[in-house]
Amino acid sequence: MNPTIIDLSLWDLVTVYSLLLMSIGLAHILRAGQGRDIFWSGLRMFVQLMVVGYLLHLVFALESALPVLLILMVMTGFAVQTIGARVETKMPNFYRVVGAAILFGCGGMTFFFCTLVVGLEPWYDPRYLIPLAGMVIGNSMTGASLAAERLAAEFRERREEIETALCLGSSVKLAAEPAVSSAFRAALIPSVNAMAAMGLVFLPGMMTGQILSGTEPLIAVKYQIAIMCVITGSVALTTFMILRFGYRSYFTSYQSLREH
Amino acid sequence: MTSRELLLAQDVTASRPGEDGSFVSILQKTTLGVAPGEVLSVAGPSGSGKSTLLRLFNRLLEPDSGQVMLSGKDIKTLPPPVLRAQIPLVAQKPYLFPGTVKDNLLASARLRRVEPPELQSPDIKNLIEMCRVEQSWLDRDARKLSVGQQQRVCLVRALVGPCRALLLDEPTSALDRQTGAMMAQTFKLLAREKGLAIILVTHDLQIAELCADRIALMIGGSVIETGPVAQVLNDPKVKASRQFLSSTVTDNGGVAT
Repeated sequence: MNPTIIDLSLWDLVTVYSLLLMSIGLAHILRAGQGRDIFWSGLRMFVQLMVVGYLLHLVFALESALPVLLILMVMTGFAVQTIGARVETKMPNFYRVVGAAILFGCGGMTFFFCTLVVGLEPWYDPRYLIPLAGMVIGNSMTGASLAAERLAAEFRERREEIETALCLGSSVKLAAEPAVSSAFRAALIPSVNAMAAMGLVFLPGMMTGQILSGTEPLIAVKYQIAIMCVITGSVALTTFMILRFGYRSYFTSYQSLREH
Repeated sequence: MTSRELLLAQDVTASRPGEDGSFVSILQKTTLGVAPGEVLSVAGPSGSGKSTLLRLFNRLLEPDSGQVMLSGKDIKTLPPPVLRAQIPLVAQKPYLFPGTVKDNLLASARLRRVEPPELQSPDIKNLIEMCRVEQSWLDRDARKLSVGQQQRVCLVRALVGPCRALLLDEPTSALDRQTGAMMAQTFKLLAREKGLAIILVTHDLQIAELCADRIALMIGGSVIETGPVAQVLNDPKVKASRQFLSSTVTDNGGVAT
């Protein structure tokens, strides 16, 4: 570990948790009825992160590829499940399409960055791979939810338009084009906005963390720029795959719109 | 059925999934055809399967059994986009793409990725005139036209292409009576002048009477009676037809017959 980082003692943590008590108190004053939520969320955060901390500690010590890959698979699984919970109107074959897109989109981009750009040695170095994959999967998850949700909404709203196009002799691809491009735009907006606002509105988490742990700010900035490109690339690729396979599931094998 | 039929549905059945996983029958072994130059009206109460039957003809739906033929050939032998360009369907509520009327008239070519037709060619000018679309509308925002005008643009848009038959799903129900009657005249003219086979689904028997050569009455997923429009409306042979017609006549204030 870098010698400049100051460890937090258990007592330090207890002290910051008193801020949650204050939040509960403030919620009580305004009768927001949120005290219980704040309490449980704070507790969950503690337990979950402690488990993750010890797990990473263990994985770092093991120095083997298998546990790293296992963790990445679990992360992917959680991401797909979260998307499933968030997206209300699911396209047919939802989990197969989304799972494959997350796996290939995020996996491909993370591999590209870690192996071809950074040149990790060994390739599975968990100190890099796990947090980077976490950021890539997390952002792609948000993008994929937005895309899938938007696609369903577009197909609901544009039914007449799509059917009219089909009735004039359009292929399904051309008929679905307005819906698909609108869904793609919706998915990419957060990443695009984040890039434009980077450094002005807030200092991004990864960069802040690196600086706190003693990394030279210019190196931290370069990493932040790189990860934003990787995230945008991954969101674009994941979304592209979901939409490319997903739109077909709204049509029958004989190229008409499926009934509701 | 004779071999004159351009478009023929033979023994078609259709169903949809019910709520408990079983299948609810919509069409029972129905046979119906239309010849070039003929307007066939399909009438019946809502839920009788008229629209479902119509959608089988250009394969927006597929029958569970039976087949649909275009010029004696199963429509499954054609790629669906090619089929649909020949047998376009005009829906009850006109849908126009964003843009001008001209953009809409060229939409079919754009969607089929073929050269756009010359809108000032004699053929298309004649078509535009027959459908009572004014030349002055061409550069206007299509969505700012009245519903009746929009429906006319939809009609021309469907016909600017390799159209051989026309499927009309309640095309006049969003229009007032007078505008609807004018549309009906247009349908008749299109069949006569262009040799189109037209299937007109309507619950408005007055519209059917104005333009149809034959009428098919549908009740509960079956065609119960078919024949020349005047004969079926004035002297129905089937008891169920008489019941349906008398109820409809009352609805329309006695104007149907």
